[in-house]
Amino acid sequence: MADNGLSSSQQVNNVLIQPSNLECKNLYDYLTTRPQNVLERLYNHPTICLAVYRELPELARQYVIRILFVEQPVPQAVVASWGHQAFSKEHVYVSKVLSNLFVWQEASIPGGLPGWILSTTFKRNLKIALLGGGKPWSMSSALDPDNKARDITFLDAYSAERWECVLHYMVGSQQQEGISADAVRILLHAGLMKRDEDDGSPVITRQGFQFLLLDRQAQVWHFVLQYLDTVEQRGLDLAECLTFLFQLSFSTLGKDYSTEGMNQRLLVFLQHLREFGLVYQRKRKAGRFYPTRLALNITSSQSKGVHVLEDVPKGYIVVETNYRVYAYTDSNLQVALLGLFTDLLYRFPNVVVGILTRDSIRQALRGGITAEQIIGYLTQHAHSQMLQNESNHALPPTVVDQIKLWELERNRLVYSDGVLYSQFLSQADFNVLREYAQSSGYLIWSNKEKRTMVVNKSGHDDVKKFWKRYSKGN
Amino acid sequence: MGPPKRYSSKTEGKSKKRKKDEEEEWNYEEEDTTQDSENGPIPGAAGRNAENIDQSVQEDEFGSKDYRSQMVLKPDHASRPLWVAPNGHIFLESFSPVYKHAHDFLIAISEPVCRPEYIHEYKLTAYSLYAAVSVGLQTHDIIEYLKRLSKTSVPDGILEFIKLCTLSYGKVKLVLKHNKYFVESVYPEVLQKLLKDPVLQECRLRKNLENEGDEEFITQVQDKPNVPAFVSKSSTSGEQPEVTEVPDDITNFYDKMDNEEDDEDDASLKTVSFEVNQEKIEVLQKRCIELEHPLLAEYDFRNDTINPDINIDLKPSAVLRPYQEKSLRKMFGNGRARSGVIVLPCGAGKSLVGVTACCTVRKRALVLCNSGVSVEQWKQQFKMWSTADDSMICRFTSEAKDKPMGCGILVTTYSMITHTQRRSWEAEQTMKWLQEQEWGIMVLDEVHTIPAKMFRRVLTIVQSHCKLGLTATLLREDDKIADLNFLIGPKLYEANWLELQKRGFIARVQCAEVWCPMVPEFYREYLICKTSKRLLLYVMNPNKFRACQYLIRYHERRGDKTIVFSDNVFALKHYAIKMNKPYIYGPTTQSERIQILQNFKFNPKVNTIFVSKVADTSFDLPEANVLIQISSHGGSRRQEAQRLGRILRAKKGAIAEEYNAFFYTLVSQDTMEMNYSRKRQRFLIDQGYSYKVITKLAGMDEEPDMMYKNREEQGQLLQQVLAASDIDCEDERIPGEGGPRGGPGGTRRVGHMGSMSGADDAVYYEYKRSSSSTANKHPLFKKFRG
Repeated sequence: MADNGLSSSQQVNNVLIQPSNLECKNLYDYLTTRPQNVLERLYNHPTICLAVYRELPELARQYVIRILFVEQPVPQAVVASWGHQAFSKEHVYVSKVLSNLFVWQEASIPGGLPGWILSTTFKRNLKIALLGGGKPWSMSSALDPDNKARDITFLDAYSAERWECVLHYMVGSQQQEGISADAVRILLHAGLMKRDEDDGSPVITRQGFQFLLLDRQAQVWHFVLQYLDTVEQRGLDLAECLTFLFQLSFSTLGKDYSTEGMNQRLLVFLQHLREFGLVYQRKRKAGRFYPTRLALNITSSQSKGVHVLEDVPKGYIVVETNYRVYAYTDSNLQVALLGLFTDLLYRFPNVVVGILTRDSIRQALRGGITAEQIIGYLTQHAHSQMLQNESNHALPPTVVDQIKLWELERNRLVYSDGVLYSQFLSQADFNVLREYAQSSGYLIWSNKEKRTMVVNKSGHDDVKKFWKRYSKGN
Repeated sequence: MGPPKRYSSKTEGKSKKRKKDEEEEWNYEEEDTTQDSENGPIPGAAGRNAENIDQSVQEDEFGSKDYRSQMVLKPDHASRPLWVAPNGHIFLESFSPVYKHAHDFLIAISEPVCRPEYIHEYKLTAYSLYAAVSVGLQTHDIIEYLKRLSKTSVPDGILEFIKLCTLSYGKVKLVLKHNKYFVESVYPEVLQKLLKDPVLQECRLRKNLENEGDEEFITQVQDKPNVPAFVSKSSTSGEQPEVTEVPDDITNFYDKMDNEEDDEDDASLKTVSFEVNQEKIEVLQKRCIELEHPLLAEYDFRNDTINPDINIDLKPSAVLRPYQEKSLRKMFGNGRARSGVIVLPCGAGKSLVGVTACCTVRKRALVLCNSGVSVEQWKQQFKMWSTADDSMICRFTSEAKDKPMGCGILVTTYSMITHTQRRSWEAEQTMKWLQEQEWGIMVLDEVHTIPAKMFRRVLTIVQSHCKLGLTATLLREDDKIADLNFLIGPKLYEANWLELQKRGFIARVQCAEVWCPMVPEFYREYLICKTSKRLLLYVMNPNKFRACQYLIRYHERRGDKTIVFSDNVFALKHYAIKMNKPYIYGPTTQSERIQILQNFKFNPKVNTIFVSKVADTSFDLPEANVLIQISSHGGSRRQEAQRLGRILRAKKGAIAEEYNAFFYTLVSQDTMEMNYSRKRQRFLIDQGYSYKVITKLAGMDEEPDMMYKNREEQGQLLQQVLAASDIDCEDERIPGEGGPRGGPGGTRRVGHMGSMSGADDAVYYEYKRSSSSTANKHPLFKKFRG
């Protein structure tokens, strides 16, 4: 019997592509993806060294300080012996971190033992940052007192307003002033928005939704990183910009700084920061600027921010066991965010009433928001009353469970690649092949009446060979 | 799935609409808007619906109704607790310092929609306002207080609505004094207006005909009545001066209102009245409703000298809880007995309220309940709380027929009274006696279960001065609850479940929904089989059986007492016999029932019983603290609440634990049950309960000797299920509950899908056998039309 009794049609199932989720890099993640020469250039600036140093894991900081003044390589075994055996995992991890950042490099010690030595640039500039000396690295603040000095409240309001403007633009709520084409370009570049296929206007993407649910500090950092990605295309210098950013992050809130000594490129950069609310300038040519809260501690990861951004003074969302959501807010942005995953029912002057339904959650899930993010957002903004209950849950546990279940029910189908075998000439043929596939564990599905079966992809070759042997044998 | 088929074609559309409404709005009562087109005798206001006021409101970009333009936020909004939406919904912060004030007030004027932990929702309806007026609140006060409590300005539409609904209400009362009916009012001009109506003139009883045309009223200065005082453990702690900042205007006004409520009639009130002809009471009531002056019924039992007092008092050991006392105060607020409904959760002591009410009135009392078992329980309650002894309490059921003559309290069932077929001679005598009596108070237990038609029959048979309805769930899937407002009276009080739970008056229940995956073979059948079998397939799902078995064992080991509910008799028997547990269902005789229940109570070896829906209401099982539900009646929210009620009675000890009672619902995954379950839970979720979803019972796989573990056993079970007859697939139907029906042949319904669509209450329905010409009339007023 010839082979034509069987036609195997290769059906490559489109495997469920894992939804590309928003990646939130911290400073470490960002820097490790830079090539070594860029890092070397960055380490020429004490500010960056200090920022990097501050973001290192505790143990790594310890190592760096211990060998900061050691001019020759230290044997790796010695470094390892500084910590307790029980924490060798941590040791290995921080060693890797330090190597990845090129803070230290491997160097062999006379005698052949492997050792570590701090990168010279990093060492020199970190010393400057910690001990002083060299050129002054903070921004100059030698200015006459500003006759229209701005206080911190003003700056906070200003930065919040500017930042929300960007977010408003993303959610497409109607009442917002336009933002510059540059900002739009960054949003598009970052994948937070994409051009609509029909009219080319930017629309929000699933990553964009996820971005909105981040806390503000993470948002700013993510946004700035995306901005830095495109910075070279604008003819700006990455190292310069980063340095300036870190200088900003070490500045004092409510103090004004001079733009003197800044070159043209940096001034352009400053204008961009101004647009997003990281700095305040009364006029483009004012010659002075105020850093805002957004720019401070820009690098610090969200858990340990010294002065965490107070964009909302306190939580405003009440979630009830009956899935009602009450949000004490009149901000359109917050309402829009809630609207991503709740059915909003009523709006009162200071409160919005909504309800979490299966449909509303599923819609959000379809949009790429995860249950985790929804829960995270609700927890993060939970009303102070919600935190006072005896059970210590910010949200009713049943609601949390239900949201997760709603997410799970979308993932009940399992996809597996397979090859379809059909058009068997006889039931016997079918049975033989099915028997074989089943016994070797390749069979995914079979139907006796229609004489069709599906074997998994890895088994396809085997089954095919078997079939060839079998049909030859007949 | 369509609506139940037994509707006439005319009502079918309506019920669809209703169902749809219900999906959207989570309120108890949907007013029948089609009524407005008719000239039916409903008070115009009752047909009004605040829900429609805001139809013109713009939706904002997020799809919510934007009320911001209609109200202005007050500068001190933080210390005020309410938002009032232009559609009559009111939101109350439970953490506000003035919560207590606002809560009492809202309970009086509106219907609670949902009361979870932080923010409660209420709704103003025509009926709720009617109730507010009938307990003595004035239009002006309602508006004023609402304004003060609100964080924002109150929308004009709402003020208008309140005025419309309250101004004409509560002005006239129908009073039974010295066994004569009087229409009484403090507003002479209102009476004048009423008497201009020719129909009402007919009803007026004139002493001497020569005085015709004379519009003299009987004027009377009312003495200060002594308001009956209820002993209660009312904690004075609530009265402590509150430290938090409460706007002065709220506290002042609250005190004023609070006092007013108590001694509203303290000052000598000048009332005018005219006597009416007793035979024409119905005509009078109907006409007054048409004239938008519904008569409030009150019973001046202290001045009733015709009917003899009965010698009954509360025992000193009977102590009322604060909420019981509060509800009774609403009933006897001005020294007279008002008719109305009191809503308390199951297990919160409804019977004590009923007993106390009877002891307060001290006239002949008639207690109606819906099963023989609860007749016994009522008798026990009377003996426990009051000085009444066996000689005073007469039971009138098919089993127990005590001699009624000379007794003060008669306890019977609805079906006994409305029975239409031949009775025994003895029963005939009792009925006759019963009809001849003039009852002082009629207590209607589980008042939500009786269809309006049956209720009307009760009312035509029995004459009583005052009616007290008791229920836990003033809620029906059909909208007949509204009828109660006019058949009995307004809702006098409704307790907050969560609050009672917090204060330990009812058990703290952990509700859980256990998901049982369908066994593949069963699911295959489920998908291909015809609809009536489906029910059986998901109920008999082996995984469900095992989950049930595991839970029973788990709780037996803990020493808990478990009740398992199944609506489906086939499943009930199968489960019970397989697990070797006693079971009760419709055909179980009274004596056997009592025996099983006694064993369950006292025998340490009987820790689990299986019951069908006969035990849904008024089976008092204080010992039970675990409830497992394996099959239920579609999406009936009320059944869910009633069943929960079986384990709500406060448990002793066990304060240390977070929960002291457990309520499990077993649902087969991917079947209709999931939808039903979601629907059923809504009422309880609105009361603040939350359901934990259990997708896997930890430890179930390790448990030894579980049944239906292997394929063969499951296959056998499947064969049994497939072999079951159609009757087996149906839920049990309880005779008597559905009201008198035709012969046995006529009860089989066509279109069984209807009952499976979830929304209906086949069992609790009146069975309409054919579409009559009255189908589109308001059922409440059918009697007026003959």
